[in-house]
Amino acid sequence: MAGAEPAALRLEGVGRRFGALAAVGDVSLEVARGERRAVLGPNGAGKTTLFNLVCGDFPPTAGRVVLFGEDITRLKPHHRTRRGVGRTYQNSLLFNGLSVADNLVVAVRGAKPGRFGLRLPAAADRAAARRLAEAVRLSHLLGAEVSSLSHGQRRQLEVGMALACEPRLLMLDEPAAGLSPAERPELVKLLRALPRELTLLVIEHDMDVALPLADVVTVMKDGDVVVEGPPGRIEGDPVVQAIYLGHHGRAH
Amino acid sequence: MSGGRPSPAALASVALLAALALLPLLIPPFWTANIFGRAFVYGIVAMSLTFLATYGGFVSLAQTMMGGVAGYVAAVLVPDSVPSLVGGVPYAAAIPVALLAATASGLLVGAVAVRTQGIYLLMITLALAVGFHLFAQANIAWFNGYEGIRNVVGPEVFGLPFRNTFVFYYAALGSAALLYALVLYVVRTPFGLVLQGIRDNPRRVSALGYDAALHRIAAFGLAGFIAGCGGLLVTFYNIGISPGSIGLGPTVNVLVMCVIGGLGHPIGAFVGALVFTLFDTFAADIYDRDRFNTLVGAVFLLIVLVSPDGVLGLAKRAVAPLRGRRRVGPAAGAAPNTGAPLAAEE
Ligand SMILES: Nc1ncnc2c1ncn2[C@@H]1O[C@H](COP(=O)(O)OP(=O)(O)OP(=O)(O)O)[C@@H](O)[C@H]1O
Ligand SMILES: [Mg+2]
Repeated sequence: MAGAEPAALRLEGVGRRFGALAAVGDVSLEVARGERRAVLGPNGAGKTTLFNLVCGDFPPTAGRVVLFGEDITRLKPHHRTRRGVGRTYQNSLLFNGLSVADNLVVAVRGAKPGRFGLRLPAAADRAAARRLAEAVRLSHLLGAEVSSLSHGQRRQLEVGMALACEPRLLMLDEPAAGLSPAERPELVKLLRALPRELTLLVIEHDMDVALPLADVVTVMKDGDVVVEGPPGRIEGDPVVQAIYLGHHGRAH
Repeated sequence: MSGGRPSPAALASVALLAALALLPLLIPPFWTANIFGRAFVYGIVAMSLTFLATYGGFVSLAQTMMGGVAGYVAAVLVPDSVPSLVGGVPYAAAIPVALLAATASGLLVGAVAVRTQGIYLLMITLALAVGFHLFAQANIAWFNGYEGIRNVVGPEVFGLPFRNTFVFYYAALGSAALLYALVLYVVRTPFGLVLQGIRDNPRRVSALGYDAALHRIAAFGLAGFIAGCGGLLVTFYNIGISPGSIGLGPTVNVLVMCVIGGLGHPIGAFVGALVFTLFDTFAADIYDRDRFNTLVGAVFLLIVLVSPDGVLGLAKRAVAPLRGRRRVGPAAGAAPNTGAPLAAEE
């Protein structure tokens, strides 16, 4: 297809084994630019492993990862970030010894040249950190140590730090996990407000969070994609119901 | 610029510096040079470790070695050292070269150890330190072997010899204060913040677009520079350098100073160096010289057992009740808040 814009993300036969376990079996999928994709699946389905393969925590044992037309299969994580991959983690990975503001400053600077900056953070960095804090509703906690945040606030900061990298492809790993019912709508609002041109990949168990957000849904099980399609079709799919009726009973 | 109001900590630092500047007027010359001056110069080497350990989470045993590199390079280059190996290079040129060499040695150690953490990092840096010590001991052409290099008297300052009690004291105090301020500054810059990020979560640092390995190596380079400043001053203090001064004992002593003073803040390095120097100087009078190490070991154990965060930790706990219980309340209240949802998740 000459002239067509390459997809935001294309996985070609990607697999990852841990010893005898195929955490991700043989996954091929394509995420269009600006698409919002939900990734569903029971515990241990390989969803997080798939994210790790895209962000480069470890290389796949098979297949290729192509980002905006560029093969990034062998690139280190920081080079992938510089090419537009941003992500959050299922269990928040924050800098506990630093303040919310400094967490965001570090995140903001990562996307810019001059990463060894030996001058105090410029006013522009501080301002960018403030804007991000506002976007994830943490303005009132800028000076707080991250170790003193509530679980929900940590999840919000997770998203803020991922956004700070100005990603073109944002991957959110269970952003609503562990949030109280009161905190959930706050997060959904936050995700809805993300810019439309941003390509979004969201792992989420909570259908009420995932389905309204998604253009396309991918369902994984035992390391492989089992169903893919628009949310309307997914909800009624017998395979998905078989997986999720059981799951919902357990998780909530 | 914004934020012009000096913090209480900054005011306390200035007051302490002023007090230390006046100190030689009140104490005998022996105390000026051999207790405080000496504590400052060893404290600088110790602070290079505190910098790495506190802000990067890297416990390195190669800091004495990096100081030794600076000491040896200067000793080889300067005039009047015995034996004269290169000689003839004025101090004004030899000192920058020595500091450059120490920085390079820091970068090298950082690069070699870049993939290791915890006990493995400790072992690799120890191996490098011992390796350099043995090399210096065996090499006659450059290091004059076992005997080392003597009569490294230091530069003249305003026509006074460096050995002059006051010249040495103020040079040591000035260097210590500048480097201390440097560390406190650097940890607030993006470079220093990223370093703390690597300590808390290296995976996240990479995911934010930083080359964490390169950052680590750079931090070791800065630690090499700081240790080099200390090593140079130690060399001038001892009027020379020999393999014995960079051996296993001095290497471990630096770690002991850091732990006694308390990792957690760079000032701990100087507190620890002062306590160590006091013991090293007076323990022989009150106790059998040969058993000095036993005594230091016992004190070390006692401090670690009573206060794992050293003298700094002790001081903090002593001051905390005076500041009122206000701080304790919210902090204790916050803990269950963060803990409960996490526990509910799994
Ligand atoms: N680094 C690793 N080493 C070994 N096994 C791993 C590793 N990471 C994941 N696994 C295994 O791979 C499988 C898939 O794990 P993954 O975390 O990708 O699942 P998931 O779909 O994200 O599940 P959950 O909903 O519980 O988060 C699991 O069996 C897990 O134990
Ligand atoms: Mg997961």
